[in-house]
Amino acid sequence: MDLFPLFLTIKVSFFATVLALVTGLALAWVMAKKDFWGKGLLDVIIMQPLVIPPTVLGYYLLALFGRSGWLGGVLDSLGIEIVFTWKGAVVAAFISSLPLFVKPARAALEGVGADLENAARLLGKTEWQVIRTITLPLAWRGILAGAVMAFARATGEFGATLMVAGNIPGVTQTLPIAIYDAVQSGDSNAANLLVLIITLFSFSVLFAAGKIGRRL
Amino acid sequence: MLEISLKKQLEDFEVGVDLRLDEELLVLFGPSGAGKTMILKMISGIVKPDNGRVVSGSEVLFDSTSRVNVPVRNRKVGYLFQDYALFPHMTVEENIAYGIEGPKASAGKKVSELMGLMRLAGLEKRYPHELSGGQKQRTALARTLAAEPSVLLLDEPFSALDYQVREKLRADLLNIHRIYPITTVLVTHDLEEAFMLGKKIAVINNGSIEQSGTREDVFYRPKTRNVARFMGVRNIFAGIASGLEDSNILIDTPDIGVIKAPRPPGVQFSPGQDVSFCIRPEEILVIRPDRVLGKVQDNILECDITGAIGKGSTHILYLETGQGRTPLKVELPNFVVRKLELAVGRQVKVSLKKENIWVIA
Repeated sequence: MDLFPLFLTIKVSFFATVLALVTGLALAWVMAKKDFWGKGLLDVIIMQPLVIPPTVLGYYLLALFGRSGWLGGVLDSLGIEIVFTWKGAVVAAFISSLPLFVKPARAALEGVGADLENAARLLGKTEWQVIRTITLPLAWRGILAGAVMAFARATGEFGATLMVAGNIPGVTQTLPIAIYDAVQSGDSNAANLLVLIITLFSFSVLFAAGKIGRRL
Repeated sequence: MLEISLKKQLEDFEVGVDLRLDEELLVLFGPSGAGKTMILKMISGIVKPDNGRVVSGSEVLFDSTSRVNVPVRNRKVGYLFQDYALFPHMTVEENIAYGIEGPKASAGKKVSELMGLMRLAGLEKRYPHELSGGQKQRTALARTLAAEPSVLLLDEPFSALDYQVREKLRADLLNIHRIYPITTVLVTHDLEEAFMLGKKIAVINNGSIEQSGTREDVFYRPKTRNVARFMGVRNIFAGIASGLEDSNILIDTPDIGVIKAPRPPGVQFSPGQDVSFCIRPEEILVIRPDRVLGKVQDNILECDITGAIGKGSTHILYLETGQGRTPLKVELPNFVVRKLELAVGRQVKVSLKKENIWVIA
């Protein structure tokens, strides 16, 4: 039994979650604390991966990161290849899981009232000190719950990953794709095992996220 | 010293105020939604005014013409939020120490000093959710004072507290202000509180100051009908100046007749001009039925009693007088009501004593 898809999925999901955490925190903070023109539109764009068909998302990513895409061209000249590599799977998983991180993180940051942050400013603290000593300590549970959800979503990513990274056994074949492959080729033993792994994992993730969330 | 001159356009009205105060406590009094909190937020820098100036001591905190806008953290403004805004993840001790700069040892000394002063000793390790309303308020005040502000802004500091606690904490606040004589602006919509705390009161309505002055001025000598109304003067009447007599003015008022009242100093009246006058409910005298009235008695009204409500140690009587049944409100000590057997349906003679009337031009 080849466990490569399991390890690849963990690796891809890990990097996707880190990316979602970094960009998602910035986005969530801006959405929670700032008012600006086009905020509604930005919200719609961030939430798109939740409703758009994964294949359509994958198509956009291909167009963007392909060698003729404008981002792909820039990365290509730097010697970085995205499409049909494990990095492509990271990009697909990152974009798909971003909204699942931003939503709870934004709610958690919004939950830290403006009065609390203003009180800290009035007591002489800089913006960074306010974030470090007030906002983050009060919002970390929501942020963590978001990160767990993002990780879970990344492990299950299928459609967009297939479009961007393809299905190359031992290179870009993640767990969900390996399950699809096993079913297609009639290898029900492998399929059953992989399905069991991912089911147990999803169960425990949602359970953990619920536990963190409840104590908010 | 605090000097402010601020303008800000809000959705419904414009806030525009000019105030100057020394190391004293000014009460900003007005109805809800008058723009009081907005003024505090502009002084502190949380909200940026459209234009104006804020000067604290010798330091210019905001000046729209020279484009000065000192960041909130450098203003040295203490702000007590209406709901206190205590940091829920920190203990009482940590909350108070939060804004103290310098070495830990001296910070600890300062925290315990303030905790003693605020009657918080023993609560060091408690979290805000484990405190009573009064303890929360004192913790927030201690946290604010710990940062040694040069201006203190208090936004409805007692509104979230029970009546009994309120009275004690008001006394506490005056005491603390004596110990730390910081320039203080206190916002309230509670008349009793304004009167108890403010030697100086500014009455604000729809974003602008209708009158500011000593407590006695604002309370007994309101400049406008609005101020009179906010100050609890329920008896405000409109009339026409019908003549002048020495230092008095005669006002012809429908239903009430001709009223003689002292002329407010510095105001010119011409006959036929519209004037209003007011008298506080507790300053109207009830005349005993058996009393012989001399000819010199002014401003006597015959009234019907149409309502009576007990209010603790006093009674509020609702009276009506004249053809048009003009209403009057009178507040009397309970013993007077008992002795004169004042009750609904009976008639009563009252005197609007000249000295108790205040004329609004």
